[in-house]
Amino acid sequence: MDVLVCVKQVPDPETKLRVAPSGKALDTDGVKFTINNTYDEAMVEEALRMKEEFGFTSVRALSVGPARAEEALRATLAMGADEAVLVETPPGMELDPLFTARLLAAAAADIPHDLVLVGRHAQDDEAGAVGSALGEYLGLPSYSFVTELTPVAASHQLKMRRYLEGGEEVFSGPFPAVLSILKGAKDPRTPTLPNILKARKKPLKKIPVKDLEAKVSVLKGGFQPTSAVTSFTLPPPRSGAKMLEFQTPEEAATKLLKVLKEEAKVL
Amino acid sequence: MDFELSPVEKDLREAVKGFARRELAAVAEKMDREEYFPSEVFRQAGSLGFLGASLPEENGGSGLGYLAQAVVLEELARVSPAFALTVGAHSNLCADNLARNGTPEQRKRYVAPLASGEKIGALGLTEPESGSDALSLRTKAEKRGNHYVLNGSKLFITNGPVADILLVYAKTDPARGSRGISAFIVEKEYAGFSVSRKLDKMGMRGSPTGELSLENVEVPAENLVGKENEGAKVVMSGLNVERAVLSAIPVGITEECLSLSLDYARQRRQFGAPIGSFQLIQEKLANMYAQALSSRLLLYHALDSVTRDKRRNRDASTALTYVSEASTRVALDAIQIFGGNGYMRDYPVERLMRDAKLLEIGAGTSEIRRLVVARELLGSLE
Repeated sequence: MDVLVCVKQVPDPETKLRVAPSGKALDTDGVKFTINNTYDEAMVEEALRMKEEFGFTSVRALSVGPARAEEALRATLAMGADEAVLVETPPGMELDPLFTARLLAAAAADIPHDLVLVGRHAQDDEAGAVGSALGEYLGLPSYSFVTELTPVAASHQLKMRRYLEGGEEVFSGPFPAVLSILKGAKDPRTPTLPNILKARKKPLKKIPVKDLEAKVSVLKGGFQPTSAVTSFTLPPPRSGAKMLEFQTPEEAATKLLKVLKEEAKVL
Repeated sequence: MDFELSPVEKDLREAVKGFARRELAAVAEKMDREEYFPSEVFRQAGSLGFLGASLPEENGGSGLGYLAQAVVLEELARVSPAFALTVGAHSNLCADNLARNGTPEQRKRYVAPLASGEKIGALGLTEPESGSDALSLRTKAEKRGNHYVLNGSKLFITNGPVADILLVYAKTDPARGSRGISAFIVEKEYAGFSVSRKLDKMGMRGSPTGELSLENVEVPAENLVGKENEGAKVVMSGLNVERAVLSAIPVGITEECLSLSLDYARQRRQFGAPIGSFQLIQEKLANMYAQALSSRLLLYHALDSVTRDKRRNRDASTALTYVSEASTRVALDAIQIFGGNGYMRDYPVERLMRDAKLLEIGAGTSEIRRLVVARELLGSLE
């Protein structure tokens, strides 16, 4: 069994974000990028757990992004993936979830895969659309928000588990398949220093995005973004908290109710 | 000049940061309040390779430079300076010293279990009567057949109460003063070795410190490190590396105090505005940043200096003197910015301040380090 994990490099959650002068995107100048999307780390952990538990042949990592996205792939290799492929985009190239999915599908066609895993969504745009679209472009079934999966090789079936609010669902379906993974039972592993060193020597292939143009052009939507951002705004700054002074719990509740009804107008 | 870390050092920083914020942060307060030593977290750090970053690959390390070890200590110190101190004493004072000065057999037997965290290391130099005047130590080692018999006591020994392997200095020829010192590997199981007391400290409380007693401890002759009576060389070169690498701990404390203060100055509102909008707070923050930046540059410079020449004293001593004093000042400023909250144990800044003070005293006091610098600059005075 071969697993392909798709990862995305995202801005560090602690970095200060600004809107670009175009008003349609984030200004990436001076933005620190994290090594990896948190949800992807959880997904990679699940892939590595399966490799160890079921003796899979390989875990390969794939990303679409600018040259700096190599660091996200190196981090995935340091966690324990075997090889990596970067579909390298030139600076300023615009992507949307569906175009990204087409590029991933075109690159994945040349990488052995029985299971293709994506994180539930990326921390930055939170679109959560790549997994389903990737299934469509690869012609594979896709399953979303899976927390744990067990492949039954003989029947080519996956036994999957996912949490629902207040419950849990166990279901099955055929593979090869694309799965979006929700954080499972185990925290993502910290890469060991020896693995960090090894990751620098593991194979990492870079494919210029232009090389995929012919393959992507024949897919529905073609070699361009399907959707376009028309405006982009940051959330309004939070106003300061209002402190209520009180002597008794009853007084606190009365004052709070008054504020919620008359000022916040939420009741 | 390139002040960038290498890709491997950057990845190492991220890995240690994640580990520290996840595993160590959960026990940092408990370590301080209950003098708790998190042996499980220590073993985890070992299995992740963080204890052996600079140790030779053939002894279970990763063969990186001292900068890698400093990166580990800085990220650990941001969360728990006490844990960083324990790791510093273990990885640098004990394991690195053994890796540099030990025989191949000694390295094979002792460095590998230290690199993996299976065993805990310590260094025994200071004694009740020899602190700043370190080479006046009184612990004696007498050669008897295939053994040396050690007698004496060691004080303020970081990791002493939990160490399995100790590098201990003793006089093999007391008449020759500092030219009669030798270094020995002592295992805690050796008969006559004991921890006479665990010490109750102002800060660094999660890093166990002790007084050790050596009563007729028979140490096999093959545990002599370096040549007999040439221990002073081991002490002095070890001290330079120790001062350079341990400088990363105050650098971590300073960075953390600055970062916590910036967050607080943005969030805390008084007179209808964030306190960060007040010029007296801004002045503090700018001064803290200047000290954080100077500290980092001195650290990197000292690491480079001892990598080139372990006998050069001035750069490591200057670095640790400056960065430790800066970390205490910056931690006090952080408490001031936090105001009443800063004085409370609910916030980490008062703990960081108590921890910071130690490195003005340990690894040679600031006063001794200044003497070392001035004497080396002046050369011989006739």
